[in-house]
Amino acid sequence: MTITDSRQPAAAGAPDADLIREVEQFLYREARILDAEELEEWLTMLTDDIHYWMPSIQNRYRKDKQPAFSEETVALFEEDMDSLKIRVRRFYTGFAWPEDPPTRHCHIITNIEVALTDNPDEYRVYSAFLNHRSRLEKDEDWMVGRREDLLRRVGGELKLARRKIVTTQSTVLAKNLSAFL
Amino acid sequence: MGEAGRKKYADYIDVEEGWVDRRIFWDQEIYDRELEQVFARSWLFVGHESQIAKPGDFLTTYMGQDAVILSRRKDGGIGVFLNSCPHRGNRVCFADAGNTRQFVCNYHGWSFGNGGELLGMHEEYVYREASKNFDKQKLGLVQARVGTYKGLIFATFDPDAPELLDYMGDFAWYLDMLVDADEGGTEVIGGAVRNVLNCNWKFPAENFHGDAYHVGWNHLAGSMAFGGSGFKADQNSSFQMNSNGHGWETAMGGGAMITAHNSGPVLEYVLENLPNIEKRLGKERAEIYGAISSVTMFPNFSFLPGLNAIRVWQPKGPAKTEIWAWVLVNKNAPDTVKQDMRRGVMRTFSPGGMLEMDDGENWENATLSNAGVVTRRQKLYYGMNLNAPEGPDYLPGNVRMGQIGDNNQLAMYQRWADLMDAPGWGDVPDRRQAKKAAE
Ligand code: FES
Ligand SMILES: [Fe+2]
Repeated sequence: MTITDSRQPAAAGAPDADLIREVEQFLYREARILDAEELEEWLTMLTDDIHYWMPSIQNRYRKDKQPAFSEETVALFEEDMDSLKIRVRRFYTGFAWPEDPPTRHCHIITNIEVALTDNPDEYRVYSAFLNHRSRLEKDEDWMVGRREDLLRRVGGELKLARRKIVTTQSTVLAKNLSAFL
Repeated sequence: MGEAGRKKYADYIDVEEGWVDRRIFWDQEIYDRELEQVFARSWLFVGHESQIAKPGDFLTTYMGQDAVILSRRKDGGIGVFLNSCPHRGNRVCFADAGNTRQFVCNYHGWSFGNGGELLGMHEEYVYREASKNFDKQKLGLVQARVGTYKGLIFATFDPDAPELLDYMGDFAWYLDMLVDADEGGTEVIGGAVRNVLNCNWKFPAENFHGDAYHVGWNHLAGSMAFGGSGFKADQNSSFQMNSNGHGWETAMGGGAMITAHNSGPVLEYVLENLPNIEKRLGKERAEIYGAISSVTMFPNFSFLPGLNAIRVWQPKGPAKTEIWAWVLVNKNAPDTVKQDMRRGVMRTFSPGGMLEMDDGENWENATLSNAGVVTRRQKLYYGMNLNAPEGPDYLPGNVRMGQIGDNNQLAMYQRWADLMDAPGWGDVPDRRQAKKAAE
């Protein structure tokens, strides 16, 4: 499955080791913050124009010109900063029953690749994720997929400006998707 | 079991006193009988005409646990047929949707037209020259009866089922608020979102059928996040309506469902259109339009009018259900409105939706608790608001005042028991409108 983002063409030249390291650390830190449910903190790692997108996947034949997903098809997440803030607010109301007792999260991030773009302050970053959630006695949900991010340097700090999440599941094998990926 | 006159399943439901036996949410035998008596005999929602607009368009779905293909035939007609090859039973189509001239089975290469008819097969000469009882006409994909209502497509495998309109009863009058509020009609946009729940299909079905009660408490976090302070029903200006087992619970005004899209353009669009809606549907329905409401058309087609989230609860076992969810919009709505509605539905009612997220766990645990044998023996209390006054005469169907209550849920289980017990459709009582039936 291709998830190439045509809006940010890759620039010539390879990222240096320091940048790769910095990006990796950013993604690992983000994963740890999500595991710890520090969602307000997570919001500060995003740019104000964040586009956070997780399309729903359709099974289509190879000869079909329609893709498995597009910007016009339904999405599990199609968020901007406003809607993400509403989600985080929901979490902290004290009435989000399906999160009490809390879910135990583990976000495993791997296969990280960094590519330069035409904008020296923006990097395209590919990664793969494995998300495990467990809850109550023995509820368990697994989700695996790929991400394509656009990271932007704002005031010296990296922030997430765009994320595309493509899971391998065409039917979500869980009762909900109460997790950021 | 099943002999005429014996009402075994009706005993599980006490409509007068308001009790439901927990076994119906757990028992494998009861579930297997549901597939036969309910799903193989009812009109089931299979898709929307806009999803198969052009000849050759198809989508795959389920009727009960039977995999089916919904297809736009060459002649423009609509076909619904089993997605299972008459040769060895393999599935003949694996895509969720697409466009094709034929469905070719992967196993031995039998091919079927988009009406389900057998076109040809690999090494066909052997069949022609040396095979017993070979008749191409009789080896097509098994057809269902198809009925449409203003863009919605339903199908049934029962040749004796009543016509779709009779099956709907007074429900159709209400359904027009979803599918006939604009002269251009409706369309489904953006494909489906699907997810799996470890619950009995009847819990989500009854939830949409009548359970406004859970909204104020269960969805409190979601409504607070949107800036509200929780849903509060007004029992004097809201009602539950049911007819032939279909249910619609709603407030009688307020339009609050529209605001769940959290979109200025959507709200403006609906407000601007209200005079048109009133012209088309009359004052009564224009007032109800977009109010806090939820609906189930028996057995497993549900939606939220106004938000226009539509879905089917696909049964997959006594304790397994899949939600197949779509977004319905007015075809003539501006594109910005359609896209905002697509986002609005997904942000509220999809696996990651801020309201839907709360529901799944309840339905799973309401189901799974019945693994306990003592637990299973207990009855559940469905007596809420049964003493409520009847609704005004201008509302068709069986109507009780108050959207909070169990009147509708009991009516759904009554219809369920009717079908579970009835040997044939002739034995299924008329539940269109109690008043009319009594006359
Ligand atoms: S099973 Fe389909 S061709 Fe043999
Ligand atoms: Fe709900």
